[in-house]
Amino acid sequence: MSMELQFPNTQVNSELQHEITQFLYHEAYLLDHHMYQEWHDLLTDDIIYRMPLRVTTERRDGSNIVDDMTYFEETKKSLETRVKRLYTKSAWVEDPRTRQRHYITNIMIKPGANSDEYNVRSYFYFKRSRASEHQIEEIIGEREDIIRKVDGQWRIAARTIIPDQTVLTVMNLSMFL
Amino acid sequence: MLVKDSVNKQTLQKLKEKLDKGLMPQWAVTDKDIYELERRQIFGKTWQFLGHESELKEPGSYVTRWIASDPVLLVKTNSGEIKAFLNSCTHRGAHLCTADFGKKKTFTCPYHGWSFNLEGELVGVVSGKKVYGEKMIKDEWGLRPIPKVGMYQGLIFASLDHQAMPLEDYLGDMKWYLDILLGRSDGGMEVRGVPQRWTAQANWKMTQENFASDPYHVQTNHRSTVELGISPSDPNFASYGHQIVLGNGHGLSIMTSATGKSPYKYQTLPESMWPMFQRNLSPEQNEIFSNATVFVGGMFPNLAFDSPVHGMEGEMINYLNLRIWRPLGPDKVEVWCWFLIDKAAPEEYKEKAYKSYVGSFGPSGTLEQDDTEVWARIIQVSDALMMEDKELSYNNVNNYLLGEDVFEPVENFPGPGVAYPSTYTDNLARSIQKRWFELISKGLLDEEEDSQ
Ligand code: FES
Ligand SMILES: [Fe+2]
Repeated sequence: MSMELQFPNTQVNSELQHEITQFLYHEAYLLDHHMYQEWHDLLTDDIIYRMPLRVTTERRDGSNIVDDMTYFEETKKSLETRVKRLYTKSAWVEDPRTRQRHYITNIMIKPGANSDEYNVRSYFYFKRSRASEHQIEEIIGEREDIIRKVDGQWRIAARTIIPDQTVLTVMNLSMFL
Repeated sequence: MLVKDSVNKQTLQKLKEKLDKGLMPQWAVTDKDIYELERRQIFGKTWQFLGHESELKEPGSYVTRWIASDPVLLVKTNSGEIKAFLNSCTHRGAHLCTADFGKKKTFTCPYHGWSFNLEGELVGVVSGKKVYGEKMIKDEWGLRPIPKVGMYQGLIFASLDHQAMPLEDYLGDMKWYLDILLGRSDGGMEVRGVPQRWTAQANWKMTQENFASDPYHVQTNHRSTVELGISPSDPNFASYGHQIVLGNGHGLSIMTSATGKSPYKYQTLPESMWPMFQRNLSPEQNEIFSNATVFVGGMFPNLAFDSPVHGMEGEMINYLNLRIWRPLGPDKVEVWCWFLIDKAAPEEYKEKAYKSYVGSFGPSGTLEQDDTEVWARIIQVSDALMMEDKELSYNNVNNYLLGEDVFEPVENFPGPGVAYPSTYTDNLARSIQKRWFELISKGLLDEEEDSQ
């Protein structure tokens, strides 16, 4: 998905920009408040949800993203399994609960391949506080989404999460990004 | 007395007495002086896993790795040989190559421009003779080779110790089991992509034991995955089978099922591959492999493997995961996790295996997430004065008595090693600790040993 945008971006109007921005804020709210089931409902049935690996490469060797290996390679069904797990009594990593914030910024939108779809790029800054620890864990990067309107509701039809770190400094990825 | 003294003969002697009884004093897990001994006597001496041959596809391919704090440049030379060098420029020591992987003919240092070829030879010196004169002998300034490099079934190892025993001797009886995991298919195994990497609050010994020798934690720690059908459905699945203690601190558990036979023949690998397994492995290896649900174990000190069946969409699928715990101090590890699958497997199965891996292990894995939680819990409390007490007046010792006096080694186990009739035993953990103690105390207790 190419996200090269012209500036100023006249391809989407400010109302649409506002709507999609609010939708992504709403999504972040659900995740930060452990409403995983409600979050899962925001995904289309055909969602492709991935998180490739960032690597360090020399410029002559090309891309510094390895698409072949990921931290997430998910479908709606596998995400459902992950979501359900967080509601069991033995998902120890989230019980006691961590406290999380997804800061979503730099939202850029352009029309997608289909008339009801938009390609949306955003930056994320994720912070997490665990137990009584003083150190706050964090992870940063960007996301490339396809946001689709289904029966008048915004839904996420695809998400690629690209972290900036080659060695993650979060002790696990129990969160969704 | 609660004041911490440095590790001396007396503390080591006491440590040994406890270990012999299956008790691990808690102070020793994260003690800074012990850690320094580990760095030098274990990570500086043992064979260390660097990668898999499939990661170095052609001449000029390279990857950069670490042996604890030593940076390693691993290259495939023009003749196809695999060589390992200290990844540090010989001029002033700058980190030579910071990329994770790539392909090159020469490595040029960005500081003063010295360059080295795939053989590690110094081939370029900026201003050369003009500034160094005629007497500079370039041969003396090549990259420093890692003293020993060896390969077994595609696994590449190296050792910083010139006197390290041959790799095959080091692996010993583990080779028989590695042949099942890595040598069953024509063409061997292949790494997909690159290893996942992340840091965890953990002590490397505890993460190693968590994988190598502790199926007992599965029942509680990973219960959620049984509930959801990601793991085999019997909540006790991890207990059935055998724990096998091999030499040198190596060993594994081979899980089966309550009946002793796995419901997942050949770990769900396609039936079309079975004749190939039967051809490449001995009848004994086939007997074990065809009846196994999970192989999980470790090679001393910090390489662990897991070959389970899991699935996020209900279907159980096998894969091989290799991992090292690179110690970054007594309370931190950098985890490196490789996904491997048989080169000869059908593409469709490979794809499912990869998804099964990402869903179960690695930092987002539905099993591994809960492991990271408990590794951190051990670290969080490790500064306790009651634990620091080497006199042990608080009796702060970890319990390694699981299965003691309950399980006796079985006769006629088809594979090498000492096999116990359950995976719920601490026999392997204790043999890992024994090896660990031998190495950290080497030269510090010798006098007594000589006089015995
Ligand atoms: S440090 Fe590498 S050329 Fe000087
Ligand atoms: Fe575990």
